[in-house]
Amino acid sequence: MSVVQNTGETKNWYLPGVFGGLVITFRHLFRNLLNRKKMITLDYPEEKYEYSPRFKGNHVLTVKKDGSLRCTACMLCATNCPAECIKIVAAEHDDPVVEKYPINYEIDILRCVFCGYCEEACPVDAIRLGPEWQTPGLNGSNFVYDIPHLAYRPQLKGGIQSHVDDEERHKAGI
Amino acid sequence: MLKCTINGKEVEVKEGSTIMEAFYKLNEHIAHYCYHPGLSVAGVCRLCIVDIEGNPRPQIACNTVVTEGMKVTNKSERIKDGAKWVLDFHLINHPLDCPICDQAGECGLQDQYMEFGKYNPEMSEPKVKKHKVVDLGPSVVLDSERCILCSRCTRFTEEVTKTNELGLFNRGDRTEIGCVEGRELDNKYSLNTVDICPVGALTSKDFRFRQRVWYLKDSESICPGCSTGCNIKVYYNKEGMFRVKPVYNEQVNGHWMCDEGRDVYKFVNREHRLLRAKKHASGAWTELAPGRAAKEAAATLKAAGDSLALVLTAQYSVEEYEAIVSTFVNEFKTRKIYFWINNKESFDDFDGLLLRGDKNPNTKGLLRVLEKHGIEATWGELEKGLSSGSIKTLVVAGPENPAVFPDLRQKIETLSAAKNLIWLQAGRNEQLENLPGEVTLIPLKTFVEKSGTFINQAGLEQRFKRATTIVPEALTLTEAALLLSGKDLSIPVAKEVFVETNRRDDQVMLEHRKKNEFVFRRGAL
Repeated sequence: MSVVQNTGETKNWYLPGVFGGLVITFRHLFRNLLNRKKMITLDYPEEKYEYSPRFKGNHVLTVKKDGSLRCTACMLCATNCPAECIKIVAAEHDDPVVEKYPINYEIDILRCVFCGYCEEACPVDAIRLGPEWQTPGLNGSNFVYDIPHLAYRPQLKGGIQSHVDDEERHKAGI
Repeated sequence: MLKCTINGKEVEVKEGSTIMEAFYKLNEHIAHYCYHPGLSVAGVCRLCIVDIEGNPRPQIACNTVVTEGMKVTNKSERIKDGAKWVLDFHLINHPLDCPICDQAGECGLQDQYMEFGKYNPEMSEPKVKKHKVVDLGPSVVLDSERCILCSRCTRFTEEVTKTNELGLFNRGDRTEIGCVEGRELDNKYSLNTVDICPVGALTSKDFRFRQRVWYLKDSESICPGCSTGCNIKVYYNKEGMFRVKPVYNEQVNGHWMCDEGRDVYKFVNREHRLLRAKKHASGAWTELAPGRAAKEAAATLKAAGDSLALVLTAQYSVEEYEAIVSTFVNEFKTRKIYFWINNKESFDDFDGLLLRGDKNPNTKGLLRVLEKHGIEATWGELEKGLSSGSIKTLVVAGPENPAVFPDLRQKIETLSAAKNLIWLQAGRNEQLENLPGEVTLIPLKTFVEKSGTFINQAGLEQRFKRATTIVPEALTLTEAALLLSGKDLSIPVAKEVFVETNRRDDQVMLEHRKKNEFVFRRGAL
């Protein structure tokens, strides 16, 4: 690769560049003043941008019909996570059909890179990346999300149900 | 001896041996579930099919006897296709619960599926439902749905333990493994059934759901549970140790190990360990680094003179005994070295398979070292010395595995009669931490954190190597012996034996340092 360099006297002239930039700035200023509807900026936080439903935002743990977690604590998400931000503690469930469930599921959201690999690794559609992306917090607030936050935070209105249903699958003999 | 050809390689086997044994001898890979070298041949899984030249149909390798000049292969397309269909039949009723199955990651079905399978299941019938989470006994859980009926576990209880608790019940696709009515799988070797289960049907209650196996590293070691010295594999990660499995050694344990030995990982983990040295002087406990505590104790030992004694348990390696005994004999000029025997009455017990009454891994090693230095002191002399006051300073290398020392509480009471007690031990002990006298507790490393040699009851020397470090500050008994004699720890430097170099003796080489251009040009950049 070769770099073309201006070697003449003109390479030290900076005023054309400065004025060129100012022309662009003022063009935008006057356009926006004359036609405010076409302005591309938003008045955040009063106005919010709607992302597509496939946007990869904060994690959601889905729930079954009875409201319990779908997660079976197989740890595939934690294994697949490139940022190593998922921590799961598994335990034995009383119901032999469920058998294994997480008693602790933590995501360190500050380490998370929102790659969505956890969602892809999950064999039971238990973890999804939801549409929320604004997670501000004051100094000292908790960015390690646990089960009550991931599955039952108020925005989820009682939890998101997965399409897959265990009982139906068992009845179908899968 | 018979000659045969396996996948183009010639091998000689004994008369009457099977094709499977020839495969094992050549270290040639062959898929199989029901065959286990330590058990009889069942020939039920049909996965080990091979092509024999001159034979129109595939035969199973585990139950076909080798004949002279036999030419066998399992690499042909026909065999691969056959194995795929056998696997398909095995998986007809197998549930898709790998996510909750503990075997996932080391499962025979997963391995063979990745090798032969990779098909889309063509079974349209619903799967047969069987019992899940069946409590078989105090240590094993059964999931009948995952079972492929290889009958390894039933043959194990029939042939090895001869307890016959397990059996196959019902017929056809409703066959299930189960316990004979009124009995449960409760013998001293029951967890071996979990090891030999090629799928996740039998799982260990102790290990169940605690870790996924792919998070664990393994390393070979020697079981310190009793004087048999079974060869084991320890499974650990940065959180500590999680389980123990047997490793084949014909001379010692064969393929098996006992259930008691499976618990040896417990005392190794951090929650049971003494993390820093503790010193009780003038009524207050202080915590300090183990090395510093040992150095401070060295001054006490030097001043003790004739009133110094050493108590050893048979739980350490030969190298450590040699180091500490020679330190006491040569540096401190004392011959008061006593052997703490933990269970004298049951010392010579043997159950006929593996379990021995002597619950120490290295009794023979300790006795050999004591004999070498000509030490013949008896426990009675120690008790007499303590009560008469002729022994004032006592160094104790305490039990690494306190569970096998039923007399621990009483012995601590006896030994605490010494004015100065220096107690070296890996584990925490509340009684020791509440002693009123002058006590120094120094943490030691356990068998997974050091290399050494154990001599088992048959006199077999077995070396084991370090697997991981759980308490980094703790000392080995060798290091403790060096520090207690007032010396410093040194890094042993391997000298070049045959090649002369101009490297200094004490020069430490960084073998693993990355040697790239940035290292060479350091300073120029």
